[in-house]
Amino acid sequence: MTLAEMQFVLPNLSPASAEIFLLTMACVIMMVDLFVKEKTRALTFALTQITLVGTAAVTVLTSAGLLSIVIAVLLGPDASADLTPRIVEVFGIRTGEEITYTFSSMYVADLMGSVLKLTLYFTVFVVMLYSRSYVLDRPQMAKAEFYTLSLFATLGMMVMISANHFLTIYIGLELLSLSLYAMVALNRDSVTATEAAMKYFVLGALASGLLLYGMSMIYGATGTLEITGVAERLYMGQANKTILIFGLVFLVSGIAFKLGVVPFHMWIPDVYHGAPTAVTLFIASAPKLAAFAIVIRMLVNGLIVMAQDWQMMLIILSVLSMAIGNLAAIAQTNLKRMLAYSAISHMGFMLLGLVTGVVGGDARFALNAYSSSMFYVITYALTSVGTFGMILLLARAGFESDELDDFKGLNKRSPWFAAVMMMMMFSMAGVPFFVGFFAKFSVLQAVVAAGYLWLALAAVFFSLIGAFYYLRIVKLMYFDPPKDMTPIQAPFDMKLLMSANGLAVALLGIFPQALMSICAYSLLRSL
Amino acid sequence: MLENYFPVFVFILIGIAFGIAPIVIGLLVAPHRPDSEKLSPYECGFEAFEDARMKFDVRYYLIAIIFILFDLEVAFLLPWATIFKEIVQTESVKWFGFAEMLVFIAILVVGYVYAWAKGALDWE
Amino acid sequence: MMIDMLQQLLQGFFGPVYPLVWTVLKIVLIIVPLLLGVAYLTFWERKVIGWMQVRIGPNRVGPWGLIQPIADGVKLMMKEIVIPTGSDKGVFLIAPMFAFAPALAAWAVIPFNDTLVLANVNASLLYIMAITSIGVYGIILSGWASNSKYAFLGGMRSAAQMISYEVAMGLALVVVLMVSNSLNLGDIVKSQGQGMFAARGLGFLSWNWLPLLPMFAVYLISIVAETNRAPFDMAEGESEIVGFHVEYSGMAFAVFFLAEYANMILVSSLTALLFLGGWLSPVGFLPDSMFWLFAKITAVLFFFLWIRATFPRYRYDQIMRLGWKVFIPLCLIWLVVVGCWMMSPWNIWK
Repeated sequence: MTLAEMQFVLPNLSPASAEIFLLTMACVIMMVDLFVKEKTRALTFALTQITLVGTAAVTVLTSAGLLSIVIAVLLGPDASADLTPRIVEVFGIRTGEEITYTFSSMYVADLMGSVLKLTLYFTVFVVMLYSRSYVLDRPQMAKAEFYTLSLFATLGMMVMISANHFLTIYIGLELLSLSLYAMVALNRDSVTATEAAMKYFVLGALASGLLLYGMSMIYGATGTLEITGVAERLYMGQANKTILIFGLVFLVSGIAFKLGVVPFHMWIPDVYHGAPTAVTLFIASAPKLAAFAIVIRMLVNGLIVMAQDWQMMLIILSVLSMAIGNLAAIAQTNLKRMLAYSAISHMGFMLLGLVTGVVGGDARFALNAYSSSMFYVITYALTSVGTFGMILLLARAGFESDELDDFKGLNKRSPWFAAVMMMMMFSMAGVPFFVGFFAKFSVLQAVVAAGYLWLALAAVFFSLIGAFYYLRIVKLMYFDPPKDMTPIQAPFDMKLLMSANGLAVALLGIFPQALMSICAYSLLRSL
Repeated sequence: MLENYFPVFVFILIGIAFGIAPIVIGLLVAPHRPDSEKLSPYECGFEAFEDARMKFDVRYYLIAIIFILFDLEVAFLLPWATIFKEIVQTESVKWFGFAEMLVFIAILVVGYVYAWAKGALDWE
Repeated sequence: MMIDMLQQLLQGFFGPVYPLVWTVLKIVLIIVPLLLGVAYLTFWERKVIGWMQVRIGPNRVGPWGLIQPIADGVKLMMKEIVIPTGSDKGVFLIAPMFAFAPALAAWAVIPFNDTLVLANVNASLLYIMAITSIGVYGIILSGWASNSKYAFLGGMRSAAQMISYEVAMGLALVVVLMVSNSLNLGDIVKSQGQGMFAARGLGFLSWNWLPLLPMFAVYLISIVAETNRAPFDMAEGESEIVGFHVEYSGMAFAVFFLAEYANMILVSSLTALLFLGGWLSPVGFLPDSMFWLFAKITAVLFFFLWIRATFPRYRYDQIMRLGWKVFIPLCLIWLVVVGCWMMSPWNIWK
C-alpha cells in the first residue's frame, strides 16, 4: 500500500490546544531563562504565571460547557445563558458541548476533564505564588528548573486527565512522575532531599511497572487499550475473565501507589518530609486531582463492568489508609510528616466515594458517589495548598518552620494567620461548617446510600481519631508560648492569597452547593 | 522475506567464529609461562595502590545519557526519512508530514540548546 | 555455467543442508579476500606513510616486503597471551570478538553490484547501523575486564568518543535516507544514478556527495573518529596515553588490530555506497561495474592513511567539541535544509 492510498486523517488539534499551548510556553520559558541574567530571574516566574493563566483561558475558550460554568460562577446563571452562546459564536468554539475524541481516540475532551484542569491550573498557580519567596531564599532551587519542571508536570497531569487510552495515561503519568523526581532532588546538596528523591524514584518506577503490567494484561484480555474500547469489549463479554482480574489487581496496585494509599504508602512520608517544602506543596496538591481523574478514566470509564471486583479492592485500601494514616499521624512531631500521613488518610476517604458507585449491578448512585469524590479531592487540594502554604509563609532563609513546635504561639505573632491556619485545620478535621466537613459529609452520604453502613461508621471513627492531631496544632498555636517572635516576612501578594485561601475554605463551607453542583453536572455530562 | 535474513544470521555466526578462533589458536600455540610480575597490571612500573575499577568522571555518564536521547531521536527520524520522498510526492500528507517532523526536530533542538547552555556538552 | 554446475553438484552431494553449505561458501568468498585486504592494508599503510615521510617502509620480508603482514601474523601467534591478575578472564578473552565480529558480519548486506549481494534485505542500512554499534562493547568490556586503570580510562574515553560520533553519523545517514527513499543499500546506490547530470553522462556529479556535501564531510570525519584512527586515535595515542588494549598481547591484541582495519574497510565501502555512487560509473561512456566500487573504497582508504600522515592528534576535549557542538548542529540544519529543498519546486530528487 502506498502512502497516497492510505486513509489519512489530520487529527483535530483544538481539544488539545491547551496542552499544546502549555508545552510551547514551557519550552519558551526554558529557552528564555537560559539567556536572562541572574537579576531578571523574576521574569521566569512571571512567564510561568502568565502561561498558567493563558492555559486556563485556552481551556475555557475551547470548551463551551466550561465557559458557561465559568460565566455562571462569575456573573450568575442568567448572564451565562445570555452570554455563552454569543462568546461561543465569536470564538467559533466547536468543542466541549459533547465528549470529543481526538488523536485516534487516544485523547478525550469532556466537561469533567475541563473542570479538573481548571482547578489544576488554579492550584499550580497558587503553588507557584506561595513558593516564590521560599525558592528565592534558597540558591539551589532558585533556578528555572523549578518552574519548567512544574509546567511539565502540569502538562503530564493534563494529559492524564484527558487520556482515553491506557498508554496516554501512562505517558502523562511518567511525564508527571519524572518531573516530580527531579523536583524533589532539586536541592541536591541536601541529604534528606536526595534520599527522598531516590526512594520516590525507585518506588515510583516500581509502581509504573505494576501499572504497565496491568495494562498489558488488560490488553491481553480485551485486545485493545483504548478505554472506551475496553469498556465495549467488556460489556459484550468478549474478555478473558482470569487475565482481566490479574490485570485489574496490578492496575489497582499501580494506582494505589500513585495515590499513596495503604499498603502502597511507604514513600509518602519520606518524600513529603525530605522534599523542599515548595515541592512538597506541589506534590501534595495538584497530582491528587490527576490521580482522581485516572481512577475515573481507568476504573469507571473503562472497567465499570468489573466494578464488583475493584470496589472490593478499593474498600480494603480505603479502610487501611484511614486507619494507618490517622493513627500514624498522631505520633509525628514534624508537620510535613504529619500532613503526609493525613494525606494518606484523606486519599483513603476519597476512595470511599468511588467504591459506592455500583451496588449489586445497580448504578443508580454512581453519579452521586463519584461527584462526592470529585468534590472531596478538589476541596482537599485547596486545603492542602493552604496548610503547606502556611509552612512556606513562616519559613525564611535558613529556617524551614516545618516542626510542630515552630507553630507554638502563632497567635501571639500573627493572630490573623493563626486564624487562617485554624480554619485549615478545622476543615481538614471535618469540623462542621468548614468545607472539609461537607466533603466528608457528601462522601458518607453516598456510602450510606449504597448501604455500607459499617463503612461509614468506620470512616467517622477514624476521622474522630484524626481530629485529635489537627486540633493539637490549634492548641499549639493558641495556648502555648511562642518559641521565637520573629515577625512573618512574606511578600504582600502571598499574604493576600493566603488570606483568600483561608476565607475560601471557610466560605465554601458555608456555600458548598455551587461547587458540588459543578462537580455533579460535569460528571453527568462526561460519564 | 525473513528467509532473506538467513545468510545474515550465518554470517554473524561465522563472524563470531572468526573473532574467537584467533584467540583459541593463540592460547593453544603460544607459550604460556606466567609469573607474578608479568601478570601484574600495567601501571608505569608502580605498584597498583587501589582497585582499577575506580570512580570515574560523571561526564562519561552524562555523555552516555545524552547519546541515548539523541540516538533515540535518530531512530524516530529513520522511518520518516525513509518515506520522505513519498511524503513529498503525496499531496494529501505533504505539508503535514513535513511540519510534523519540523516540530519534532524543534523539540529536539530545545533540549539540545538546554544541554549546551547548561554545560553538559563541555569537556573541560 | 560453471557456477550452475557447481551448484548442482553440491546440491546432489549435501541434500537438505545444501542452502547452508552454499551460503557458507559465499561467505567464505567474501571473508577471505576481506581478510587479505585487512592484512595488506596494514602493509600499505606502512608503505604510504613511509613514502609520505620520505622513508622506504617495510622492505625486508619477501620481495618489496610483501610477506611482511604474514610474518607479523605468525609473530603475534607465537606470542604469549598474558591475562593479567585480577582481570575478568572470560570477558577479557571475549571482548576482542565483540570488536571484530561486527566488522565482518556487516558485510552480509553490502552489495557489490546491482545483483551481487549475499543477503538482499530491505533494511540493510538499519542492519549495518545496528551491528556496527556493537563494536563499542568490545572496547568498553576490554577496558573493564583488564583490571588496569589505563585500560579502564582508555576504554571509557574511546567509548565516549565513539558514541559521540555515532549520533552525527546517524543524522548524516538520515539525510541520505531522505533523498533515497529506501533502507536498502542497493537501492540507495541506484537512486544516485538518476538526475540531470547522470542523464548528461556526468554521473559523478549526481552522486550524493555533491548535493549533500556537508553531510559527506561530516560522515567522512565521523568514520575516522568512529574507527579510532588518527587524528582521533585517543584509543592508542602512543605517545601520551595508553588505550583500552594495553593489557592485550599476542593473538588477543591481533584481533583488536584486525578489527580496526576491518572496520576501516567496512566504513570506506559504506562511504563509497552511500555518497560516492557505489559501483556506478562516474561518466556515461564507461560501464558500471564492481571495479568502480573497489576503486572508490581504495580511494577512501587512502584518505584514511593520508590524514594519518598529515594531521597532528586532536586533544580529547577538541574531539568531543567537534562531535557535539559542530557536527550535530550542522546535521540538524542540513536536515531541515534538505527537507525544505525537497518541498520546494527546485527539488532535484524526484
